[in-house]
Amino acid sequence: MIDNFALAVSHGLIMLAVWLLLRRPDLDREPGPKDHAPPGAGQGGEAPGA
Amino acid sequence: MLLPGRGKAGKRPVRDLVFIAFLGLFFLGGFRKPFIFVLVYVYIDIVSPQRLTYYLLNSVPISMIAVGLCVAAWALVDDKRDTRVAPRQLLIALLLLYCWQTTRTADFPVEALDKWGWVWKALAFAAFLPLTLRTRLRIESLLLIMILSASSIIIVGGIKTIASGGGGYGSLNLMVDNNSGLYEGSTISTVAIAIIPLILWFTKHGTVFPPDWKVKGFCYALVFSCLLIPVGTSTRTGLLCIGLVAVLMLRDVKRKFLYLGLLGVMGLAAVPLLPSAFTERMSTIKTYKADESASTRLAVWKWTWEYAKDHPFGGGFEMYRQNQIRYDTEKVEGTAANSTVEKTLTIDKARAFHSAYFEMLGEQGWPGLILWIAINLIGIVRMEVIRQRYRKASPDQAWVSPLAGALQAAHIVYLFGAAFIAIAFQPFIYMLIGAQIGLDTYLARKRSEASWRPIKRTRPTTPEPAA
Repeated sequence: MIDNFALAVSHGLIMLAVWLLLRRPDLDREPGPKDHAPPGAGQGGEAPGA
Repeated sequence: MLLPGRGKAGKRPVRDLVFIAFLGLFFLGGFRKPFIFVLVYVYIDIVSPQRLTYYLLNSVPISMIAVGLCVAAWALVDDKRDTRVAPRQLLIALLLLYCWQTTRTADFPVEALDKWGWVWKALAFAAFLPLTLRTRLRIESLLLIMILSASSIIIVGGIKTIASGGGGYGSLNLMVDNNSGLYEGSTISTVAIAIIPLILWFTKHGTVFPPDWKVKGFCYALVFSCLLIPVGTSTRTGLLCIGLVAVLMLRDVKRKFLYLGLLGVMGLAAVPLLPSAFTERMSTIKTYKADESASTRLAVWKWTWEYAKDHPFGGGFEMYRQNQIRYDTEKVEGTAANSTVEKTLTIDKARAFHSAYFEMLGEQGWPGLILWIAINLIGIVRMEVIRQRYRKASPDQAWVSPLAGALQAAHIVYLFGAAFIAIAFQPFIYMLIGAQIGLDTYLARKRSEASWRPIKRTRPTTPEPAA
């Protein structure tokens, strides 16, 4: 009972995390200064998801 | 140590099917985004689902499949521009080669081969892992999956400790009968305490689960559960680790006196609630001379030290099996003024090392021990460098310094716990080391990118040295 509860909670959260990760393009690639240089864009870019 | 067999019957087939569905979905995610394969391997290595299930998964080498897919995905599709290899990855590879050599000439060739079978995987994966950690989100998701995977054991341990009023060493049933890997009492209590700073990092800087009240609530509950593990397993090392982590966290707390006060109040409030099995065992920290477990350790360490004098290149994995030790346990009776010391001679053989440092010295000799210490100490130093360098970073890099601090604290707690447990090759720790190296190379890449400016902007730039 306790085992199954703990397994359900941890595995449920892992599944949810993976689902959320699949929808995040910044998992594989972060925009670097070479990729885009929009006019006026400085160093302080926005943190992803912040 | 093996526990008496516990019931395996019951609803296992249902659980098995759920596990298979879960793993299937997890693997499928990897085909969408190949980095997920790395997370699948991490999960399998920590939780060992094949040991929690009764059939099907036992016969499929899921761990090998996951690692094969990780490497293939990295080699075929991953972006490899500006790939950096840190010196520590080379040291890990060197340690791997050295261990291979000592395994070939081991004192116990068959047993050594057994341990080599899992050690090489942990080392090879640690050297490979940083290559895949190219983005912040990857570093974060690696740590997230490591913590959530460990939480499946920690939540079980925490709830059972509360339900049973404290288990006593070796009797807390952590789902798996065989007392190995993270499912071993002392190991899980050290790891559970070591990851507390990392869990707390997620309450402020996580982006997969942005920290709202639910995320924070779960994190704090998980930290509480981590604190219960040393109680449930009655491991003295765990208690000492809690003290250490409390001291380490003092570094980054803003209101230090409030923190110290709260710590004191919580400590005092916890004492009456602790089970007697725990307090009794903890009180033996002071009277270690009367304790057989502690006396054996000292005797084994002495034996290993002597062995290394004759065999400076080590005896290969599992060489402790040849030890024969004699030691006295002292028992003091009577009052302080009129006490008698009773010494009992105990003879023992094939006692385990009970210390990662002596495990390295005995098995891999001085070169192995030095390499191992270098890999670990460089990690702590590098995290300190990052912690200081990014202390006053811009808001988008505010996550860096606390993460380096948390990784460093986890590592220090591990190195402390490792003095009393033979966990020199614990795969979980090698993943943490992999995450440290990944963070380091990621930041070096970011610094070199930042020193590059579009030509039309003519600001003077001073390139920072990449680590």
